Amino acid sequence: MASLWSKISAALPVNEEQFPLQFSDKVELSVLEMLKRSRQQLYSNTASASRALNAQIILDISWERLNTGTWRHVDKDWRRVYSYGCLFKVAALCGEKPSEDEILQAVRTCDMGLLVGAAIMDNILQAFVRILQSEMRSSAEEEDKSEHVEAKRRKIVSPHVPLIKEESAVPRIKCPSLESFNTNYLLPLKPVILEGIIDHWPALSNHLWSIEYLRSVAGCRTVPVEVGSRYTDEDWSQTLLTVNEFIDRYILDKVQVSENAEKALGYLAQHQLFDQIPELKEDICIPDYCCLGEGEEDDITVNAWFGPTGTVSPLHQDPQQNFLAQVVGSKYIRLYSPEDTDKLYPHQSQLLYNTSQVEVENPDAERFPEFVKAPYLECVLQPGDVLFIPVKHWHYVRSLEVSFSVSFWWS
Amino acid sequence: MRGASELLVPVYFCVELSVVMTFSVGTASMRWFGFGFNAFGQICAQERLVKGDTSDGVGEVRVSVPTELHVDEGGGSVVETSQIRASWSRRASLRLGADSCVCMAGFSGVPAGAKTCGCRDAVVTESHLTLAFPDRVESWDLQSQDDTPSWSMEIIPQSQSSDVRLPLVPGGYIACKPPIFRSLSPHLQAKSLALGGDHAILLTATGAVYSWGLGSHGQLGHGGLSSEEEPRTVEALWGVPMSSVAAGGWHSVCVSDGGDLYVWGWNESGQLGLPSRSLRKATQQKSAQQADVGTSSEEELHDEVFISIQGFPALLDVEPSCEIRTVSCGSRHTAAVTATGSLYTWGWGEYGQLGHQTLNSSDEPRCVEFFGAENLLVVDVVCGPWNTFTAAVKKEVLELKNKSPE
Repeated sequence: MASLWSKISAALPVNEEQFPLQFSDKVELSVLEMLKRSRQQLYSNTASASRALNAQIILDISWERLNTGTWRHVDKDWRRVYSYGCLFKVAALCGEKPSEDEILQAVRTCDMGLLVGAAIMDNILQAFVRILQSEMRSSAEEEDKSEHVEAKRRKIVSPHVPLIKEESAVPRIKCPSLESFNTNYLLPLKPVILEGIIDHWPALSNHLWSIEYLRSVAGCRTVPVEVGSRYTDEDWSQTLLTVNEFIDRYILDKVQVSENAEKALGYLAQHQLFDQIPELKEDICIPDYCCLGEGEEDDITVNAWFGPTGTVSPLHQDPQQNFLAQVVGSKYIRLYSPEDTDKLYPHQSQLLYNTSQVEVENPDAERFPEFVKAPYLECVLQPGDVLFIPVKHWHYVRSLEVSFSVSFWWS
Repeated sequence: MRGASELLVPVYFCVELSVVMTFSVGTASMRWFGFGFNAFGQICAQERLVKGDTSDGVGEVRVSVPTELHVDEGGGSVVETSQIRASWSRRASLRLGADSCVCMAGFSGVPAGAKTCGCRDAVVTESHLTLAFPDRVESWDLQSQDDTPSWSMEIIPQSQSSDVRLPLVPGGYIACKPPIFRSLSPHLQAKSLALGGDHAILLTATGAVYSWGLGSHGQLGHGGLSSEEEPRTVEALWGVPMSSVAAGGWHSVCVSDGGDLYVWGWNESGQLGLPSRSLRKATQQKSAQQADVGTSSEEELHDEVFISIQGFPALLDVEPSCEIRTVSCGSRHTAAVTATGSLYTWGWGEYGQLGHQTLNSSDEPRCVEFFGAENLLVVDVVCGPWNTFTAAVKKEVLELKNKSPE
């Protein structure tokens, strides 16, 4: 079997001359000099400690630049420098015979480049991940699988499942034609649940998104996780975890927390997971109905929403049409028309003006007297259901069990 | 533990040195040391680099033991350094006096067209070298080969010895990024100015502190995270006259007339000297990796109160009842000199910039033992982004001066 390093170096340009290092003058000559030193080391027999140190210098200096100013104003070239730092670090980790832990670190490094950096050299970090993962799989196959037992230890909590009143239920329709969906729902901007349109997804058939499956495809990948009950809460924060860590800590509740500390909810929310992990992208499809929009297919934003029972997205609105596809578990959803915005008390701040101040399932009638007068639709979204949330429609979402949804924002 | 005799040294000097240190220290007896990031040889020449071999030299990239600087002016004559300025990849050594000039070490030298003779002050960034002369200020673009300065201004020489204190220039200041010159209201009566990563801290003639620029990490000291376009007074310090200010990547510090140290901004690496959760976590992870225990041993940090961002100035006790003389900030570390000649450092240490002879970071001020052990008193400190430079004198020299009759 070919060594890991020979596979990694096969993904690299054949020699130093063909390894590109082109930047605008935003990246100073001294930083370029560090990049060149690392490039030279890549094609020479340099000790891995020295390679790792040079890679770390590049990561540290670009990290500082990425944290200077606001994210929007950061020059894309500095994100590319960061990705180069990741490339050189992966090479340093895999240069000599790497341990299992070093391979895991290398995957984590690639993910940091994919999450924080910008694509370089035909997305070479994505190619590295594929190589590293196949390496890990070949060594993991020898290990026994004790995972199934653990999955059953999941704490059984019975969440409060609201009774859906008939008059407020979101209508359901089975595989409508494009024409009829367009006329009856898209043009008049009416919410509807589409049934049977994603039954063919591998995620719902031959690649069922079980915990075990997600671990096997994405377990060692690093993803952003929201910690806290609601993103409007004071103690809400974002952190980076591997999918395995996230599952252990927040889905299976394996990590014990001291008695007095209240357990925070973790939510892998609004993350473009499918760009990061193309294997999962193959398990889903963009709904055909999106072609009724005017945008290109490349402009559709596909987000993953994976979390335990009880995650809450406060009542908010988005600037695009949305298909919310339920893959695993169920969610309670409440919808309000944009016509009733005056009864929903949006936050005043610029950052949260698209979010209502009202706790939908426990409204403060004194502070928000108009809220109870606002008419709404509601539903419990089950696996296989796709909810059409028209542009600007206010929606509130609470998971009733471990849940994985995929949203498609389109125009 | 070290021997008790060393612990006695500071006690002995506490009594006398507050007097001693008021004597001006002649540059003749002053020695400069550097530690921290040295990838470009800005602290000391890397032997392997000199030989044209970049194959190794991990220890030479990170200098964790204070190392004496050698400024070679060509022809082998050693130049006495009075002041140091440093950017990420460069160090400028400034010699003052009759034949003042600037020498550069690190990624590149003084631009070919620049004449530094007669220079009174200098500032170096990754992109520019700014030189202040009695009659003009010149800013040189270090990225180009131009033989003229990219920016310059005339100064009407004043009768008094009111030298330019960079980055302040008459009517404004020299910024790190274009536009190079920014104006400042004369009403501010600016005495000194410290430029951080993307913010500015100004000290006025009356000892008041103003700040402006990016506020994302609390570095402005107004309590919030919003940015300020214009200089705004740091109200929390109102009524406490300050004597000096310093700014790091995302943090700020100042010293009061009485020698108290105030800190605010981001504490991600412990650069405020306050308990830092992210630093403790990183340290835990590192030791877990080294011990090969895996991540499961990660214990939750609950009991202590951690500071991630300090929005208002906080008083920092470096050591019980000790006066701070000078302070300087790196991008993520801080260094302070006490009135008794000790150097304390804290914050990010992964390039050796804390001088503790390790590569560890620290979220509490720790004394740099090297100087005491070498019988040296620290009199000044200047941080580069990832390194630290200190001036020190032999203890005997000061004692001698103290005893010599008037």
